[in-house]
Amino acid sequence: MRRRALAVGLAAAVASACALAAVALAGTAQTKATRLTVFAAASLTNVFPKIDAHARYSFGGSNMLAAQIQQGLPADVFASANTKLPAQLHRAGLVTTPYVFTSNRLVIVVARGNPLHITGVRDLERSGLKIVMAAAGVPVGDYTRTVLAKLGLSDLVGKAVSQETDVREVLAKVTLGEADAGFVYATDAKTVAGKVSVLRLPPSSQPRVQYAAAAVKSSEHLGAAKAWVKRLRGAAAQRKLRAAGFLPIPH
Amino acid sequence: MTRRILAGAGVFAAAGVALGFLVLPIVAIFSRVSPGTLVGQLSRPVVTDALVLSLKTSAIAQALVLLLGTPAAYLLATRRFRGRSFAVVLVELPLVLPPAVAGIGLIATFGRLGLLGGTLDALGVRLGLTQAAVVIAVAYVSSPLYVRQAIAAFEAVDPDLVAASRTLGAGRTRTFFRVVLPLARRGLAAGEALSFARGLGEFGATIMFAGNLPGVTQTLPVAIYSAFDVPPDGFTTALAMSALLVVVSGALLVTLRLTLQWQPSRPTSRFLFAPSR
Repeated sequence: MRRRALAVGLAAAVASACALAAVALAGTAQTKATRLTVFAAASLTNVFPKIDAHARYSFGGSNMLAAQIQQGLPADVFASANTKLPAQLHRAGLVTTPYVFTSNRLVIVVARGNPLHITGVRDLERSGLKIVMAAAGVPVGDYTRTVLAKLGLSDLVGKAVSQETDVREVLAKVTLGEADAGFVYATDAKTVAGKVSVLRLPPSSQPRVQYAAAAVKSSEHLGAAKAWVKRLRGAAAQRKLRAAGFLPIPH
Repeated sequence: MTRRILAGAGVFAAAGVALGFLVLPIVAIFSRVSPGTLVGQLSRPVVTDALVLSLKTSAIAQALVLLLGTPAAYLLATRRFRGRSFAVVLVELPLVLPPAVAGIGLIATFGRLGLLGGTLDALGVRLGLTQAAVVIAVAYVSSPLYVRQAIAAFEAVDPDLVAASRTLGAGRTRTFFRVVLPLARRGLAAGEALSFARGLGEFGATIMFAGNLPGVTQTLPVAIYSAFDVPPDGFTTALAMSALLVVVSGALLVTLRLTLQWQPSRPTSRFLFAPSR
């Protein structure tokens, strides 16, 4: 009797496993119809689906995505929040020639209404403030360090209470009230307008925040991937980027 | 006949696939780079900092789990009250929750804008992005494993022995420490080993609620996640830390099995008190 129950259970398990496998296979068969997989910087999370709702996206820290491409994860397009990582992958023969498609600005976000009356970046040296930034190597983390170095405030890096792995994590820590101030892109601040207050950085300290995209050479749809990258520089995509607060392609 | 052979071969093939699937990722961690390189990576500050932090936060968390979890488990094991089963389900729930859900739950509770956030803020306590947050995250995800096992261990203690101890004049406290605890100790140790192993591996709730700061909130799993994409050799460092965790977790599991198999010499007095059934 018990044996029978076991057999029935096993049969059910095998059947459900087969069903799952069938569903998974059907899923991959469907995506074969050139649905591109785009690895894109976390700061592009809101705007990319507006440019192409059809693609599959993996958003994250550009450095993590670059590492995943290096480890052979199947991406078709790589869109990074800097030019360094796509250039590195290009030199390694992994992606096509990268093109800059937009730019951005760095800002400081603080709690809505700025209850702690933080007046600017120099005010962050005040003791007791919880500052978050992205880790070195993450594009926004590198930009943050560049700004602070230009302002002679590099000691703030050591005071950060967390080194996050992408810009949206930094933003979340401030919107949730866990941190008092964080360094993010202007476009990220715009996605939570009304939930945070934005402090500008001195224009002279602004780093050159440029986004570059390239097609992944191992892509099964290299032609489509190249076209997708080109499309980012087209008028329609540029309009969507501008609407989200991104800046024009620098000359 | 052929059908039976085919069925037999099918079972072996399935078992082979299942075993290979479970073992290969572990093998891959150790085979990707030479053991010498792995050991060399272990002396890097990012690794030692993370290891020390992981052990420290785990030790504090497990002390809390034992201190608060043991009485809770004893109560749930010995008292019969309305809603007891429901309480047990609630205790076990974090076990099956995805770590990300635990992270969100902890932020929604202890975060600055969370349920208890206002109260804590008034007391001048901010838990988010601190080492205390790591301890909370570890205790939250690991304690159910201990409490669950502890309930089972306390339930397995013969109530007649407890009654005998009470009849012979020992108070509740004395009975608990001299009779119940020694009899339940193996189950408790097994639960604690599982809880410790689970806590050591905690990642999701930690990175969400405690953040990621080397030496302060960056535990080994968080350090692995942070290291693997850092050129030039972050991936190797991540492999080394992973190998370290595999070894530690494996050792815990072996300890657990030995604890459960080990048969202490049974006190003969047990049979004196045993009723004839």
